Amino acid sequence: MKDSLVLLGRVPAHPDSRCWFLAWNPAGTLLASCGGDRRIRIWGTEGDSWICKSVLSEGHQRTVRKVAWSPCGNYLASASFDATTCIWKKNQDDFECVTTLEGHENEVKSVAWAPSGNLLATCSRDKSVWVWEVDEEDEYECVSVLNSHTQDVKHVVWHPSQELLASASYDDTVKLYREEEDDWVCCATLEGHESTVWSLAFDPSGQRLASCSDDRTVRIWRQYLPGNEQGVACSGSDPSWKCICTLSGFHSRTIYDVAWCQLTGALATACGDDAIRVFQEDPNSDPQQPTFSLTAHLHQAHSQDVNCVAWNPKEPGLLASCSDDGEVAFWKYQRPEGL
Amino acid sequence: MASPFSGALQLTDLDDFIGPSQECIKPVKVEKRPGSGVAKIRIEDDGSYFQVNQDGGTRRLEKAKVSLNDCLACSGCITSAETVLITQQSHEELKKVLDANKMAAPSQQRLVVVSVSPQSRASLAARFQMNPTDTARKLTSFFKKIGVHFVFDTAFSRHFSLLESQREFVRRFRGQADCRQALPLLASACPGWICYAEKTHGSFILPHISTARSPQQVMGSLVKDFFAQQQRLTPDKIYHVTVMPCYDKKLEASRPDFFNQEHQTRDVDCVLTTGEVFRLLEEEDVSLPDLEPAPLDSLCSGASAEEPTSHRGGGSGGYLEHVFRHAARELFGIHVAEVTYKPLRNKDFQEVTLEKEGQVLLHFAMAYGFRNIQNLVQRLKRGRCPYHYVEVMACPSGCLNGGGQLQAPDRPSRELLQHVERLYGMVRAEAPEDAPGVQELYTHWLQGTDSECAGRLLHTQYHAVEKASTGLGIRW
Repeated sequence: MKDSLVLLGRVPAHPDSRCWFLAWNPAGTLLASCGGDRRIRIWGTEGDSWICKSVLSEGHQRTVRKVAWSPCGNYLASASFDATTCIWKKNQDDFECVTTLEGHENEVKSVAWAPSGNLLATCSRDKSVWVWEVDEEDEYECVSVLNSHTQDVKHVVWHPSQELLASASYDDTVKLYREEEDDWVCCATLEGHESTVWSLAFDPSGQRLASCSDDRTVRIWRQYLPGNEQGVACSGSDPSWKCICTLSGFHSRTIYDVAWCQLTGALATACGDDAIRVFQEDPNSDPQQPTFSLTAHLHQAHSQDVNCVAWNPKEPGLLASCSDDGEVAFWKYQRPEGL
Repeated sequence: MASPFSGALQLTDLDDFIGPSQECIKPVKVEKRPGSGVAKIRIEDDGSYFQVNQDGGTRRLEKAKVSLNDCLACSGCITSAETVLITQQSHEELKKVLDANKMAAPSQQRLVVVSVSPQSRASLAARFQMNPTDTARKLTSFFKKIGVHFVFDTAFSRHFSLLESQREFVRRFRGQADCRQALPLLASACPGWICYAEKTHGSFILPHISTARSPQQVMGSLVKDFFAQQQRLTPDKIYHVTVMPCYDKKLEASRPDFFNQEHQTRDVDCVLTTGEVFRLLEEEDVSLPDLEPAPLDSLCSGASAEEPTSHRGGGSGGYLEHVFRHAARELFGIHVAEVTYKPLRNKDFQEVTLEKEGQVLLHFAMAYGFRNIQNLVQRLKRGRCPYHYVEVMACPSGCLNGGGQLQAPDRPSRELLQHVERLYGMVRAEAPEDAPGVQELYTHWLQGTDSECAGRLLHTQYHAVEKASTGLGIRW
């Protein structure tokens, strides 16, 4: 297990500050990082090392909390504590802020693009989740303001192929939303975590959702459609979500991020105990009651809390992580023999 | 408790985090007495505080109070004062006033006037399966039974709101060359929208908002000025209650601009939601359909009201429709028979255009609900708002769907709303220009349509609220 996660390199991405989040572009060639220094940095490889190709510094007045690439790879969205979301357009190595989305009452905690590229979701400490639509002229309009959560909303993520949105909150729940006529509605609430849910990740098929929490567990939820074979009850035409697996006892502090590799199915976690862990589903586990094994546990991956883990979308096993220590680290994961 | 206020208000600075109420900076007026020296404070068994002077004399100390008005007028902290807002204006308060009247000597009694909105009436009509006329008559009967003296319909005061809005638009349209901020003109009848605009966008958006008072507040002027004079009473001797489809109207009634300093009285003393009237009926053990219908009261003797009247253009007052048709006539000499609405991205965002020979003369819109208000405001900020006038309402589907309307747990809400809309639309529409009593009031009460009186009694102002940037506000 010791060798399953190997350090490839580190960069001081946001010196004297925290690095909050990372996002690989869809091509897997660039990594965007953002931090407490209000900047976004774009990293690319040059030979064996990672170098900073661009710095986006004029966009925000406060911490940049999350960044997200559009499915086409030409745009980057950044969510900031200054209550705005910037949309940057990529022109080779240059990024230009083309729009600033305003409206949230306070800190924007997350931003995510829908697989179609036409929709964007943001969420905030103001307890709301907003859905935005982009038109052909790069104009953004608010399509819906969802007030389902009762506390700060920490993260939003879209289903890999459907227009289904998931949000995680300080109110200990995960909520799912879909479009209904000319508005968006909350179609499911996932309860089970005993504390703040910090992050979410769908599996490659979109049938399962992983959530991680301040309660030090990772939960795996499965979608059951109406009329499912397993006899899971659904209300009306909406699918039901059931918690089919809980990973507890592995993390000693809050789990801030979870990432599900779309290529290998490996699940990585970022923890407040400065460690990175990787889990893999056991080969013969029952799909309705899967079991996951810990396949990598790297203590002191960083010198402080690990805030984010991100799998490269094209290169299997390439993982990036970032921390309160301001650094970004690159890792090579190999599933250990016999596990 | 889930917030009963409109979506636009919920997302403004009302935060349930109580801690920062330490930030309360309301200055408590303390009478400075000469030579008081050092005093001790003694707390009695009943919790009252007495100041004990050095010479042994005692003085009962007044409790420091933060009133509803103080909270609303100030932006010093971010405590949500919802419970304060709701308890100070409730059917309990109305009952107290009515009970006090029963015990008081004739000279101490207050004249109690209730003004009912057409939207609340439609909601009650749906609930009790009655038509609007019967509902109006039986509500009048009910209120009088419990001690109310007069029951009016805010459709009457709405004539003034619409006429003032129409005139204001034409004035601004004509004055476009001189004033960049003249257009678009945004409707002002919705307090949820006004509060949001004042707290979030401040001085940028306020010049665009119509200064015409809402029907509730025009009624406030009518009752506390015109009617008071007629009854030979000072305004503070009248207790004016309005029945409204939402809670945001309680905030509107509490605005300092609608407080009469001279007589220390509010133009509207208490706002009851439709739901609160329903609770009142239950508590008084009255079945509305079983009451004998009473004749309807009217503010002017000339207009004998056999049945209530309303306005065309939807359940939120018809601002877009009235301003549009009036502008078409006044500015271009075009008579518009039917107004055609074109829905845009959702049913709460629709536009109306006046075209002639391929040219767009007027471009109006209605924007209901927070998401549409957002988009409108953002477009305005970027200078990309194509509209001349926008009817803005905080609630999706407008006032008939306000947060204070009656719910029916056994009916799908969409079906209930459609029923309420049908009942609302059943009432005969009247053009404000033709409504009996209105022109007379402009002449005799206001001394003319563009008089100083009309400006003072039919218009209002807005105030940008500065956001208090508190250190306590920073949270991860």
